[in-house]
Amino acid sequence: MSDPRYEIYEAGLIGEGMHTPPVLPAGLRRAPGGVDGLRTEHLVVNMGPQHPSTHGVLRMIVELDGEEVVTAEASIGYLHRGIEKVAEHRRYDALGTLMDRGDYVAGIMGELAAALATEQLLEVEVPPKANWLRSLTSELNRIASHLVWFGTFGLDTGAMGQFLYAMRDREALLDILEAISGQRMMFNYVRPGGVVRDLPPGIDAKIREFVDTFENVYLPEHDALLGGNEIFQSRVKGIGVITREQALAFGLTGPNLRASGVKYDVRVDRPYAAYPELDFEVPVGEAGDAWDRYLVRMEEMRQAARMIRQCIDGMPEGPHMAKVPKLIKPPAGEVYAAVESARGETGVHLVSDGSEHPYRFRYRGPSLFALQALEEILPGHLLADVVMIIGSTDVMMGEIDR
Amino acid sequence: MWGAGLLNGLRITLRNMLRGPITVKYPHEKVELPERARWAVEPTFFEDGSPRCTACLTCVRVCPDHILSLDVETREDKSKRIVRFGYEIGACMMCGLCVEACPFDAIEMGHDYELAVTDPAELRRTLLADVDAASAAKHREEKAKASGEAGEGSDA
Ligand code: SF4
Ligand code: SF4
Repeated sequence: MSDPRYEIYEAGLIGEGMHTPPVLPAGLRRAPGGVDGLRTEHLVVNMGPQHPSTHGVLRMIVELDGEEVVTAEASIGYLHRGIEKVAEHRRYDALGTLMDRGDYVAGIMGELAAALATEQLLEVEVPPKANWLRSLTSELNRIASHLVWFGTFGLDTGAMGQFLYAMRDREALLDILEAISGQRMMFNYVRPGGVVRDLPPGIDAKIREFVDTFENVYLPEHDALLGGNEIFQSRVKGIGVITREQALAFGLTGPNLRASGVKYDVRVDRPYAAYPELDFEVPVGEAGDAWDRYLVRMEEMRQAARMIRQCIDGMPEGPHMAKVPKLIKPPAGEVYAAVESARGETGVHLVSDGSEHPYRFRYRGPSLFALQALEEILPGHLLADVVMIIGSTDVMMGEIDR
Repeated sequence: MWGAGLLNGLRITLRNMLRGPITVKYPHEKVELPERARWAVEPTFFEDGSPRCTACLTCVRVCPDHILSLDVETREDKSKRIVRFGYEIGACMMCGLCVEACPFDAIEMGHDYELAVTDPAELRRTLLADVDAASAAKHREEKAKASGEAGEGSDA
């Protein structure tokens, strides 16, 4: 090798230590120039907002030293629609239409959060049937949402087939939800006081059939196809570790928090709807890496299928809507209601001044907190792992930008 | 053994291949919509072809996006004429709140989902134009007739 460009190799300037992540002094986010003596420049890569792997319109500004991430910054706001401000001009019974468009993959749970908050203001009692219907549709929607995550997480790692199979199952679920509520994603089904309609005749058989095949055939297949794949395992194990302390400090909730070993689930800790009467387990991870987040979500789908069966079996009789005035004018006050959505604690903080519109409406989207944690987690990882870590946290831009 | 999972994955993919497609060949085949499916808002009519709408404006007030509009003329004898019942389909989110609110079942959510247009002007639909609004009395009459018929269980 007489080419002067290669002298650097012969001089031994490149060698051991090059691939160890740069050690950052406490409090300092930017590594001082270059690896070893090379003094290569850092490269800033804009991932997104149109990048197919950043799940919607997330833009990550990643500063790279070679292949390693030095700093990562999430730039958000590309999907901002001003939902919180629009809500100040909406009547209480139309808040659900906004929540549908927040976390648009798991709309029922957002609607439920808004309905629960309004019910707290009104102090109405929801009939038991409505509670069971709420739990049933929530769990159906949770599986549909996790299936989207499952499919796209696989895509991030380079796998393709599982995405198509996940969409096939989600299609069956959306058909069921459409038959119940009238639309496939923007359900507008849960209202203050209950749910807008009872189950259509003959749907229980369809749900039972879906749950049986999903639980016994499709879900084990999904798990074997992606989780059983050694290449997938070797890529996701050990990356994107969020420790218990970090998870708590960042305010993570949902599967991301539980994968880090904290057993917190709104369904258990601040029960709502029919969850106190349902029998289910809350899966908890240990290491808090991408693999644990995968395991927790897969187990959640299994538990959701269990709950759906219980809901169908134990569905009580009675009205599905409490007596709520047509024009809702709650007394002045301030409430917070939360549900366990597919991504974590989706909360609605309502301030009422006694008029027919909320004075203030605040939407707590769990993905926002997961995204904040990413900025801390990503440095030190390879660029190729960045998309997988983003995928493993299942961030949803609709509820981050609102 | 490393690689067993890969072979198993192949087996699963093959099994899925044999299951056959679940898609439909869309323009040639169409899926059946469930009865509750919500698409564009459509007016409904009495059997004699006159619109059921009484121009009470409830739906206009309820719509969260303020996209229904009603121009009404009131005659001297208090009967109403609908000059134009406007509907901006391009802004409608098909939430169904207007249909639920209508006290006279004068509108419904249609099942026509092929709503794309090439001319933006077509996004401003006119549901009803230049017709007499039904009166609440007519609705009462119809209701009485229907219940009477059900009671007798006879001629149509
Ligand atoms: S369906 Fe909803 S958005 Fe459309 S006209 Fe009716 S109330 Fe308005
Ligand atoms: S459609 Fe129904 S709610 Fe709207 S003006 Fe007519 S009668 Fe009233």
